Amino acid sequence: MIKKLLLLGFFLSFAVGTAYADVKTLVLDGSTTVGPVAKSLATYFTKKYGVRVMVSESGSGNGAKSLINGSCTIAAMSRTMKDAEIAAARKKGVNPVAHVIAFDGLAMVVHPGNPVRSLSKAQISSIYRGTITNWKEVGGANARIVVIQRESNSGTQESFKELVTGKSMQITGSAETQSSNGAVKTRVSTTPSAIGFLGLGFVDRSVKVSAVNGVLPSIKTVKNGSYKVTRPLYLYTNGQPSGPVKQFIDLPNTVEGKAIISELGFVNR
Amino acid sequence: MNIGTRKILDRSFTAVGIGSIIVMALALMIVVVPIVYNGIGAVFFTGTVEHRKMLQAEFSRGDSQYLSSEVASSNRYRAKVYEMLTGFEAELETMAPEKKAEYQAKYSQVRTALQALLGPLPGDPEPMLTRFKYGQTRWEKAEEKLHDLLYESKWDNTNPDVMGKEYFVNRAIGFEGTSLSRLFPYINENLEKMLLPEFTLYWGFITDSSVDSHFFGGIWPEIQGTFFLAIGAMLFAFPLGVVAAVYFTEYARPGFLNSMLRSANSTLAGVPSIVFGMFGLAFFINTMKVSESKSVIAGALTLAIMILPTIIRASEEAILAVPKTYREASLSLGSTKWNTIATVILPAALPGILTGGVISLGRAAGETAPIIFTAAVSVGSAIGLADVFSSPTPALSWNIYNLASEHEAATQIRHVQYGMVLALVTIVLLLNLSAIVLRARISKKLKG
Repeated sequence: MIKKLLLLGFFLSFAVGTAYADVKTLVLDGSTTVGPVAKSLATYFTKKYGVRVMVSESGSGNGAKSLINGSCTIAAMSRTMKDAEIAAARKKGVNPVAHVIAFDGLAMVVHPGNPVRSLSKAQISSIYRGTITNWKEVGGANARIVVIQRESNSGTQESFKELVTGKSMQITGSAETQSSNGAVKTRVSTTPSAIGFLGLGFVDRSVKVSAVNGVLPSIKTVKNGSYKVTRPLYLYTNGQPSGPVKQFIDLPNTVEGKAIISELGFVNR
Repeated sequence: MNIGTRKILDRSFTAVGIGSIIVMALALMIVVVPIVYNGIGAVFFTGTVEHRKMLQAEFSRGDSQYLSSEVASSNRYRAKVYEMLTGFEAELETMAPEKKAEYQAKYSQVRTALQALLGPLPGDPEPMLTRFKYGQTRWEKAEEKLHDLLYESKWDNTNPDVMGKEYFVNRAIGFEGTSLSRLFPYINENLEKMLLPEFTLYWGFITDSSVDSHFFGGIWPEIQGTFFLAIGAMLFAFPLGVVAAVYFTEYARPGFLNSMLRSANSTLAGVPSIVFGMFGLAFFINTMKVSESKSVIAGALTLAIMILPTIIRASEEAILAVPKTYREASLSLGSTKWNTIATVILPAALPGILTGGVISLGRAAGETAPIIFTAAVSVGSAIGLADVFSSPTPALSWNIYNLASEHEAATQIRHVQYGMVLALVTIVLLLNLSAIVLRARISKKLKG
């Protein structure tokens, strides 16, 4: 008897959630950079409107694919959709519409023990091309530079190439690939001679931010345009949004949404 | 070979056997002890008054009267800190501009460290994110933050040939001669009175939803998602697997097709799980459209395909192990072939089939790759049974990976990650244990 009761309790505990069954679910997929913003907005949104929002972070490229395949409602991207992606979307009858939710500075990060304070765009390009291989050449210690990049799927990687090295540049084959902002941060914070790039919102004290062309990235310098390596963060929807999707897309423009974004270290609109 | 050498060989074989068991036990200890130790830390820990405030505000749990008396007593000690801050701010205004700028930079660091320790300071705007609404909820973290407040980390770059070395500078020295220098010894002495650490047993870690992307709260949606996925996979794979095994052992005629099917099945058992994940995405979601987006059902189906070969193999072995005499006795009594299979062979093979099933169940619960693209999300609320056809779910295996690599504040919430690991290991262990118990009971019944 006790066993049966236990079993009943077990199943009941699962069934508790069924009360929410009629609630529509928004599914968000995409950029790991937008991840923290998306997650926090989602939490706030669920609390305020009672609409469940599921967020996963698999990279901008995957976000685009998910939107095209119809497997997510909103795609979070840290770059714009490519022509090929838009063409693929059109073919499937999906009409991607971009919404800028925030801005992000792309911060060049090094180990906190690295004496290098500032790098020029040309120096960064040379490091990533593989022509500069030692920190000594840019005013640092005598140590081989460990170059860290993101995977091809990453919007951050695309933005980095577009904004710093130029799109056509071939990144050195010895560059190490990490698959998320968090992984780059961990790698740089544990490797004294590493260099990598991160969304501004991911920067914390475990890594040191290097100035680019003499300007340190911060919410202020990104906002007033003096820090040049910045990009908008997007949410893509299929067609003009309506209903709860529209409510969610509009959230970053409200006072609360803006506060959430800036508390996370990103730059609101 | 004479008896002497044989004895020596025999003994050394035993020794090697015992040795390998000891090595295995040690390896298991090395793996399991930290998991258990750190994982338990998510439920049992020294919580501060900030943790109790959080519980009261987010889950309305705890004795509100007792809490308010605690908050009042902690605020008495905090008030002095705030007083010192306002005193120093007034002092800043009287300073010469360049001196003021120098102190201001240092002072803002102190404020940040204090916010991390005690939560928002008076005059701060009310934070939107729950993670900034409270100070440190765990005492061991508070001690780390205290160190950050008392000492500034600096890097010694005097030797240009090597990378810098970290050293710590007492912050109090930087404020020597100002009113703020009293702050540091005061906090060092009175932190306990400000945070009131107390042994905490937080069962909510298992039964609560997470608050603000796993900063606070528990992991119930993840546990539930894991159950849904594993059991869902089992619902599809187990009947299919047993039926396939019956076909292979009882009906299939030996021949080219049969041996092809068998070797295909064996090969499938060795395919990496990420391949199943991609297959699940391409087949169940993009082609079959079992659901609009990622969903539990798509994930469960993908996991089912992944564990199917194992179940088929285990069931085949179990059916083949049933003594031939059983079958002959049944057939000689005039029973049909199907009746024999259903009433004699399958019951006798059940313990073996169940073992295979449960091993697969454990695997389904623990796999990450197949559910990345088909079912798992990093943040989401618990879903109901009715939502499994339309909604994705957080799941332990994926969230452990997410917290380890992608989470923006992974280092601050390691305890949650360890808690999830322990929960997953416990779930798999419980599943295995229940199978062993079930198996023993069935075997007993069969004998008796």
